[in-house]
Amino acid sequence: MSAGGDGRPDLSVRLAGVPLAHPVLNASGTFDVLESARRFGPQVLSPFAFAAYVPKTVTLEPRTGNPPPRVTETAAGMINAVGLQNPGVAAWLDELPLLAPLPVPVIVNIGGRRPADYLEVLRRVEERLATGQADLPDVVGYELNVSCPNVGRGGLAIGTEPRETAALTAAARELTRRLVIVKLTPNVADVVAVARAAAENGADAVSLVNTLQALVLDPVRLVPYLGNRTGGLSGPAIKPVALRMVWEVAGALDVPVIGMGGIASGRDVLEFVACGATAVAVGSANFTDPDAPRRIVAELEHELRERGVTELRALRGCALGRG
Amino acid sequence: MSVSPSHGEETCAAATSGRYRVVERRSFGPYALLSVLAPPLAAVARPGQFVMVAVPGPQFRLRRPLSIHSVDGERLRLLVEPRGEGTRELVAAGVADVLALAGPLGNGFPLEAIEAALLVGGGIGAAPLQFVADELRRRGVAVTGVFGFRDEAQARLAGAFEIDDLWVATDDGSVGRRGTAVDLAREVGAGRRASVLACGPAPMLGAARAWAAESGLTGYASLEAHMACGTGACHGCVVPTNRGYLRVCVEGPVFPFELLTDEPPAAAPEAPPAAPAEGPR
Repeated sequence: MSAGGDGRPDLSVRLAGVPLAHPVLNASGTFDVLESARRFGPQVLSPFAFAAYVPKTVTLEPRTGNPPPRVTETAAGMINAVGLQNPGVAAWLDELPLLAPLPVPVIVNIGGRRPADYLEVLRRVEERLATGQADLPDVVGYELNVSCPNVGRGGLAIGTEPRETAALTAAARELTRRLVIVKLTPNVADVVAVARAAAENGADAVSLVNTLQALVLDPVRLVPYLGNRTGGLSGPAIKPVALRMVWEVAGALDVPVIGMGGIASGRDVLEFVACGATAVAVGSANFTDPDAPRRIVAELEHELRERGVTELRALRGCALGRG
Repeated sequence: MSVSPSHGEETCAAATSGRYRVVERRSFGPYALLSVLAPPLAAVARPGQFVMVAVPGPQFRLRRPLSIHSVDGERLRLLVEPRGEGTRELVAAGVADVLALAGPLGNGFPLEAIEAALLVGGGIGAAPLQFVADELRRRGVAVTGVFGFRDEAQARLAGAFEIDDLWVATDDGSVGRRGTAVDLAREVGAGRRASVLACGPAPMLGAARAWAAESGLTGYASLEAHMACGTGACHGCVVPTNRGYLRVCVEGPVFPFELLTDEPPAAAPEAPPAAPAEGPR
């Protein structure tokens, strides 16, 4: 897996044992491969720009989502309060075969109001995958979204409590041999404590950060602009916060980290890897540039070549200053 | 993975994302009509569809959804209003500048069955109605336009339209009749059997729906919304409808009047419904 004869740097990584061609995934809810293929055609699938595909959060029951407005731009970023609108796991499973042509692994992102909801979704997906039907995608794991700031109950309430996170992670671990990834919120005093609770209870990886709780006012009426009033901030504005948290978690724990928060360039990816991330996810940048993932991977390759580094892995954690 | 549209036409994998050159720019007061040489988009665009346009520059900017004003050969025309920081930069685009854009997106107006049309436009919202008028004229359908603007400055926009039977009103009466586009529609459209095709601010669309209902006319509204992706991924641009929250970017931007509602949809059940307490019915 070292650099080939063509002199291209080796970007491949292993995420808790799962081999990925490069470290760049999509952040859940920011890219929909089926919708993109419906608009732009099947070339969206091949070559597929991300190393793994993370669909939008699925919950047990259908969710209506929050009243509009749901998104708006902010300085160096954006705020959203979509509220996990989705058709529920039953309808979601009906469409799962549509993902079968994907040439990369799939990580199913699960949300819920209470732990039992997450577990029931996970169980139902496992049940479908156990049928061994040929028309299913390569689901390699689950990302537990315990960090959505835009739902009334559940979500964030679990992800801000190490004990709740520990209990949910342990219960999910019992239900699957696939990867269990816990998506962490930055809206806590001690992100390492929550990450540790996940890691010590069987999480194969943690992903961080979800959005920062934030508020935007209607500039004329001086009242909250979003239908949900508060929302989640993302984009370049939060990158330094995300980087600090990845650096803290990777510095304190051995659990693999998927870093995310404002990544928009190959240099950004390199910084997250330097802070200990094994993989990264691109979110808001998908909105400003539909070609972002391809461009970011190309830029990452260029960054390594400029530095004379043949393997991305060699730089992982170089900013941690451990030992 | 969402509600499948049961109205209009789904886009059919014909959209393209790329960088295209501005080849002509016309000013109408503060507004600009940009012609972009974009053959793959121009070849497949339908009236009522839109494009997502990148704001030039290094800053983080969500792409701006802009209606397709018209198509001329291999050119797309986009009518831009300097509304905020992003659109001010787009209005400033000049000939030979390159714009990154993706489209055509959205469903567009269903024009096949229309025998006579009353186009109701408000402000910059009138933008897609030129394309509608062009297509209907090509089909030999009679078209009347009623456009409302705030004031004389905004009424400069009317210069960007070539519609034979076009009536203009302003809120302050400085150009054309005093009143709104819907006031004009009441007057000009009285007694006519025509489909109402409307695009403009929400209050205007509400008034157009109410008038069409009173008059027994069918109609379609093209909506605008803040968007992040424009392609169905983020669910950021929804509007309340009788079928729940639907995405303006995919199930719209064009919705039949009767599908729209001002009421937020009932929340999905917070808990699974309780099992029936009694035996089989």
